[in-house]
Amino acid sequence: MEDEVLIIENLEKIYSGGVHAVRGVSFKVRKGESVAIIGSSGSGKSTVLRCINRLIEPTLGVIKLNGEVINNPLANVNEIRAKIGMVFQSFELFSHLKVLENITLGLRHVRGMNKEEAEKIALEVLERVDMLDRIDAYPGNLSGGQKQRVAIARSLAMHPEVILFDEPTSALDPELIGSVLQTIRGLADEGMTMVIVTHEINFARDVADRIIYMDKGIIAEEGPSDIIENPKTERLKEFLSAMDDE
Amino acid sequence: MLSKEERILGWYKIPKSSRILLIATTLVVIFLTPNLAEGYESTWNKIEIDSTDDYNAAVIDSNGDAWIFGDNGIIIHGEKMTNWSIVNSPIDEDILTAYSNEYMIAAAGENGTVIYKEIGSNEWFEKSADIQARINSIAINDMNEIIIVTDFGGIQILREEEWLEINSLTSENLYDITFEENRGLISGSSGLILGSEDNGLTWEIRETPGIISESEIVSIGFYKANRAYAITSNGQILKSTQEALTTTVGYSWTIKEIESENYTTSLNVNLTALEILSTTKILLAGDNGYVALSKDGGNIVTPQLLPDGFENQKINDIAMENAFRGIIVGNNGNVFYTENGGEDEPVGFEVIDLSNFSEFVDFTKDNLWEGLKSTIKIVIFGILLGFFLGIILAMCKTAPTTLKQMIESDLEKTLVLFWLAIPTSILFTRDSGIGLGIFTFLTIIGITILLDYYINKNNTDSEGFLGILIPNNHRNKVIRLLGLSLLIGMPISEEWGFDGGAELIYSALNDFHDFQLGSDTPKLSAQLGYIFAPIGDPSAFFRLIIGIGLTYLGILFLTVNGSFSKKTLFAGKLFVVVILWSIILTELFVDFNINNFEFSITNLMKYLLILGLGLFMTRKIIPAFSWTGVELKKYNITIDPWSLRPLNSLATLYTDFFRNTPLLVQFMFIHFGVQLGKHIQNIGIDVTDDLTMISSHLGPLDSLFSPMIDYVSESLFGPGKRSYLSAIFALGLNSAAYQCETIRGAIAAIPSGQMEAGRSIGLTYMGTMRLIILPQAIRICIPPLGNEMVNLVLNSSLASVIAYTELTRQGKLVVAITFQIFWTWGMVMIAYFVVTWTLALLLRRLEEKTRIPGLGISGGN
Ligand SMILES: Nc1ncnc2c1ncn2[C@@H]1O[C@H](COP(=O)(O)OP(=O)(O)OP(=O)(O)O)[C@@H](O)[C@H]1O
Ligand SMILES: [Mg+2]
Repeated sequence: MEDEVLIIENLEKIYSGGVHAVRGVSFKVRKGESVAIIGSSGSGKSTVLRCINRLIEPTLGVIKLNGEVINNPLANVNEIRAKIGMVFQSFELFSHLKVLENITLGLRHVRGMNKEEAEKIALEVLERVDMLDRIDAYPGNLSGGQKQRVAIARSLAMHPEVILFDEPTSALDPELIGSVLQTIRGLADEGMTMVIVTHEINFARDVADRIIYMDKGIIAEEGPSDIIENPKTERLKEFLSAMDDE
Repeated sequence: MLSKEERILGWYKIPKSSRILLIATTLVVIFLTPNLAEGYESTWNKIEIDSTDDYNAAVIDSNGDAWIFGDNGIIIHGEKMTNWSIVNSPIDEDILTAYSNEYMIAAAGENGTVIYKEIGSNEWFEKSADIQARINSIAINDMNEIIIVTDFGGIQILREEEWLEINSLTSENLYDITFEENRGLISGSSGLILGSEDNGLTWEIRETPGIISESEIVSIGFYKANRAYAITSNGQILKSTQEALTTTVGYSWTIKEIESENYTTSLNVNLTALEILSTTKILLAGDNGYVALSKDGGNIVTPQLLPDGFENQKINDIAMENAFRGIIVGNNGNVFYTENGGEDEPVGFEVIDLSNFSEFVDFTKDNLWEGLKSTIKIVIFGILLGFFLGIILAMCKTAPTTLKQMIESDLEKTLVLFWLAIPTSILFTRDSGIGLGIFTFLTIIGITILLDYYINKNNTDSEGFLGILIPNNHRNKVIRLLGLSLLIGMPISEEWGFDGGAELIYSALNDFHDFQLGSDTPKLSAQLGYIFAPIGDPSAFFRLIIGIGLTYLGILFLTVNGSFSKKTLFAGKLFVVVILWSIILTELFVDFNINNFEFSITNLMKYLLILGLGLFMTRKIIPAFSWTGVELKKYNITIDPWSLRPLNSLATLYTDFFRNTPLLVQFMFIHFGVQLGKHIQNIGIDVTDDLTMISSHLGPLDSLFSPMIDYVSESLFGPGKRSYLSAIFALGLNSAAYQCETIRGAIAAIPSGQMEAGRSIGLTYMGTMRLIILPQAIRICIPPLGNEMVNLVLNSSLASVIAYTELTRQGKLVVAITFQIFWTWGMVMIAYFVVTWTLALLLRRLEEKTRIPGLGISGGN
């Protein structure tokens, strides 16, 4: 179909140590859709995300971006990655560069823009994440929430087809989570295609168009956001009640 | 304080490209500055004597008076070498030669003329020989008898007022004669040297190197009883030392390879006179005003200046009272006097009192300053070389390019490498030496990488090579073909084919075996000599290494099936055990004979120790030994041959080698063994020649370029620059190994997420390295790199062993001249401290300036 940005078919990953982290996962992400992946620790959520932008190589399966197979050795990983944004749990800002430079780096060296063009775009995206006031700060001098917003801006700047979030709020203090979630919600409203791995069940329910529940390397349940209210499988029920206890 | 941007004048105002240019220019200027101060003047002073005759000979007698002899029988007396006067001569024939000992002076010349006088008396006596020939040389033996030599092998001795002829066994022309106690030496044409051990009564022919068989040995001389030198009219220097206790000096002669003449054997001047000042210090003179001093037995010969206006005058003889004070005489009434061994001195020299500290400092500071400059030069370039090489090595070590990746995603590049670069390099290695091969290899790799980069700009991770892709269904076939060609090589023809891995290993092992370094028994301990085989035939060693590498790759590629999986060696551990034990058992029991076995404690201990060691190493496997198939599986070895990282292995080999050998030995190996400086110098001279040739076609521009080329070439590749080049490389190559480890550690300390983040915005691996990882890693390693740099400065003192005149060697020289040990070494130490301390302070400041705000615990804010 035309509007399917991302198609994952039968993805499997066996790590070199022998851990079978993902055992046949298939799903599709439509344009403008935000998909949340939830599941207990070790269920293979990060592995799926990292396979998608080829930070690791899947053992089996096919990943298509805009209809093109991207996981074969001949595909150009750099081009693919530039089209797929990634936001990490631990921010991974470039600590030797100022906020503004963190964002212009990719524009200048991957997109080949000059300094002025790049800075113009950088200021635009920084405005979207509400970080305009700290453009000259070094990442080491930012709060966790600010760092994560800069990281989101960094992937936004590259105009990706899809942004992958790997637990964007787990490393944050509770009072800082709000601002980051706010930013992500804003992106969803603007129609950004997103895959979000998260432990924030409520956030997933509010923001995601679809929720995927993973358990032990497979998709145990999948559906629109109301599966949180009415889980069909026992496993998801257990998982949700365990989350509530926390 | 103003910020960087606000300052009107400042480093950061200069555009980046100009900054790089500025730094580069500064470095070039430092690199090229001459090692010694210019502006020298001669220490030979013209003596004015009222005569313009040609002077042929000079001696200084035991009173310190100089005597000069010349054409028309002229005799000049220089009382204490200060009062010069012409004295009455009993003859008017040209006098050509003179000699003195403690009792008398003798001189001789044309038509058999001989005159002599006793020291103390003022009267010259004539006692000419009854010959018409010219006397080439005269000498006085231990019994105060005069001996003369002439052309066609003529020798005569004046014994009891009668000239006696002596059999010389030769009809060659005899040019010089000299005595040391009762031992005499005569030199002549066709490389002839005669020796006598009995005050000149009988002579025998001494052996000389074949290379001088055409040369005329014009002068010969002893230094006491322990050294003798001779020179030829072709500019060669001969040396004789005492070979064994039973022989004396003058028996065997070797020709000097003159370092300052690029290790050739000739100075390229017509030498006429030789004066030996000490065991290693000799003064030489020749045509066209050539006077030169060597302080190391003819290794480095330094020409000296004659006073202005007299530069090209012919010098005929040298007479020195000691190593410093003496005269040279020549045509046209020229006599020059020195108190300084004739050594050129910097302009502005004055007589000084070395026991006065302020005068001592004044005297030595130039030397030490020169030394310091030389030290700083090799240190700067050593550091730079080490740093760049270190970064490259560190990147090789951390590169994730496994064989699997090379074949899977970079098959096209790998093919180019193995099918083009390596064969070409091997081909050149075979024809014109290793250097050219390596150079070609690197050039090819460099050019292809550049090409690929420019064509595929941002897509360097994959997409084939230069846009060419091998289709999926043919990839395995191509890989197998590559494997086959690595194994068997490319047997195109005798001349153009090249060997595969198997052949390389075979021929290398064969060559090693020819050395016969081990004995016939298969015992390991009897074969230990083979660890030195690489030095016996380095090229075979390289062939072995390349061969092993190619064979490994060949077998691996040949068996590729597309899965790049791990391989299991069935019961591999058992094989290892069996091999281990067969080595142990051969070691202990081959050639074992119970009958003459010596049951000593040490012998038993040795056996028990080796057996015990073997049991210990195999303790986990032996007890569970069982021959059923199921059990054997327990001993499988799984290896992952595709996870080998070639770049990493090569870099590790390099760093391990340099970090496990002493720097002092590296210095000597690189300079004297490999002669790296010499090779670079030769290449440099070739390049200079080519450039001069090109420049000569440029018409008017030539006058601009050729002096520049000459200057650069002279200051980089001129005589005496070898140790400079070697020193830079020895320091740099060594330091690279250590800096590599530091940088590698710093790269490893950067969280892996940084690499992932860089890659996830689409940067290539190299791009992420350059823009994200290295900038952070270098900041981390500034303190340890600072230590390494300080070490490098201190290590640079070892360059003195290869005769590079840096600070330490200057110190040694100053001590040798002044004997002020405490002052000299104290000053040297202060100089080192100032340099390293400044460096440390600069680095500390650099560290502060580059610190990333908010990162790391620094104690400050
Ligand atoms: N590099 C690796 N090598 C080997 N095993 C790994 C590696 N990374 C993850 N694993 C294993 O794979 C499984 C899935 O890991 P993954 O990180 O995908 O889980 P996750 O769902 O993201 O968990 P969490 O919610 O804790 O982040 C885990 O059992 C983990 O131990
Ligand atoms: Mg995870």
